[in-house]
Amino acid sequence: MIYFDNAATTKYKPEAVYEAANFYLREVGVSPGRGSYGIGIEASRMLYKSRCAVGKYFGMSRPDKVVFTKNSTEAINLFFNGFLKKGDHVVISCYEHNAVLRPIQKLKEQGIIEYSIIQREDLGLSAEDLFEKYSQENTRLLSMTLASNLTGRIVFREDVFEVFHEKGITTFVDSSQGAGKIRLSMKDMKIDFLAFTGHKDLMAIPGVGGLCCESLEHFNPLVQGGTGIHGEEYTNPDIFPEGYEAGTLNMPAIWSMHASIDYLTEHFDEIASREKYLMQYLLDGLKGIDSVTVYDEDNARVATCSINVGGISSDKLVALLDKNGVCVRGGIHCAIIAHEAIGTVSTGTVRLSLNYMNTEQEIDTVLDILRNVGE
Amino acid sequence: MHIVFFSTSNVFRAEEILTDAKIECKIVPTPVTDKAYCGVCIETEDQNAKDLMEDMEYEIVD
Repeated sequence: MIYFDNAATTKYKPEAVYEAANFYLREVGVSPGRGSYGIGIEASRMLYKSRCAVGKYFGMSRPDKVVFTKNSTEAINLFFNGFLKKGDHVVISCYEHNAVLRPIQKLKEQGIIEYSIIQREDLGLSAEDLFEKYSQENTRLLSMTLASNLTGRIVFREDVFEVFHEKGITTFVDSSQGAGKIRLSMKDMKIDFLAFTGHKDLMAIPGVGGLCCESLEHFNPLVQGGTGIHGEEYTNPDIFPEGYEAGTLNMPAIWSMHASIDYLTEHFDEIASREKYLMQYLLDGLKGIDSVTVYDEDNARVATCSINVGGISSDKLVALLDKNGVCVRGGIHCAIIAHEAIGTVSTGTVRLSLNYMNTEQEIDTVLDILRNVGE
Repeated sequence: MHIVFFSTSNVFRAEEILTDAKIECKIVPTPVTDKAYCGVCIETEDQNAKDLMEDMEYEIVD
């Protein structure tokens, strides 16, 4: 099997990740922040270490200011629903995943906020020009994806965040795509809040994500329930981070992410270099096939690209590749505004997303299949 | 003495700070008081410990 759907989930993880999840399940196996017996305290200590590992990885001033959720979608919903108030205006990019678009759109439909979408042709504008064109008096939040889940294009721009931040607008990054591939420093890059998910290029097992809070600005919790503290209160206590983490956390996944971040930190440069090489190898091969269209071909990217092949629909191409043992994702990729931006709503695309464990031979196999389709 | 916190996360931050400062401490169940703090707290005999608690909200329970 050739697995080119790493933008959805990295199927293969470093061995240390499996070992960490297994260790937690077998050797610890209890909830953090609940029991005050020895192993319960150890669980809480492991949770704290995991928060700090995440916070350090994302370059936070206070690495423990991390709220764990089950994925980035939940983290994004937590932040948008808890932070935005009636009358606020939000600026997002045209490459946002539905995980950003839908909560924003829902808040708009409820009459709470308005939002503007930075159009594709404007993404190259200077930061000042973007601010002039898209901000309003009531703009409270700038939200940008780190990289497009559709085309792999890197969307986040440090200069844009600096300008919006300087003007008093809170900044937010959805790092679901690219968190394991692009070095970020929330502190230096003026990122106030950042959502992450473990199961993609951070290479943890599924079931963990979170919200990194460089800003100390207050927001409301998404879920009410047991927090392990202040059990006498009828609603969640206003205490960070526990007040935002009602219910039992997925500690096997969280501890697996502690291991995956260790691994990523140690191997970051070699992973980045290998993925860059493999992506270029793939793009060079695709360029040699006349019938293939690559979207956002000339933009800086992570190890993801989207294509169409003349003469075959994207769904049939996905089925053909699957028949040949190749896993890729077709359709709309939960990114409708990105498809609108690149003009592929009616056709969809086929997304090829690599990671460092893929090989040139696998890419050659896929290129051969695409050549035969073209012929 | 016991240093008790509202946030469990801060208990472990405090442990990290005190360990780095080579101050002996351990994490123990929080003594029952009239206020509900989190379930565990720091126990230490070193009176300097409370000076290292930075911006964390805490109380001292003897």
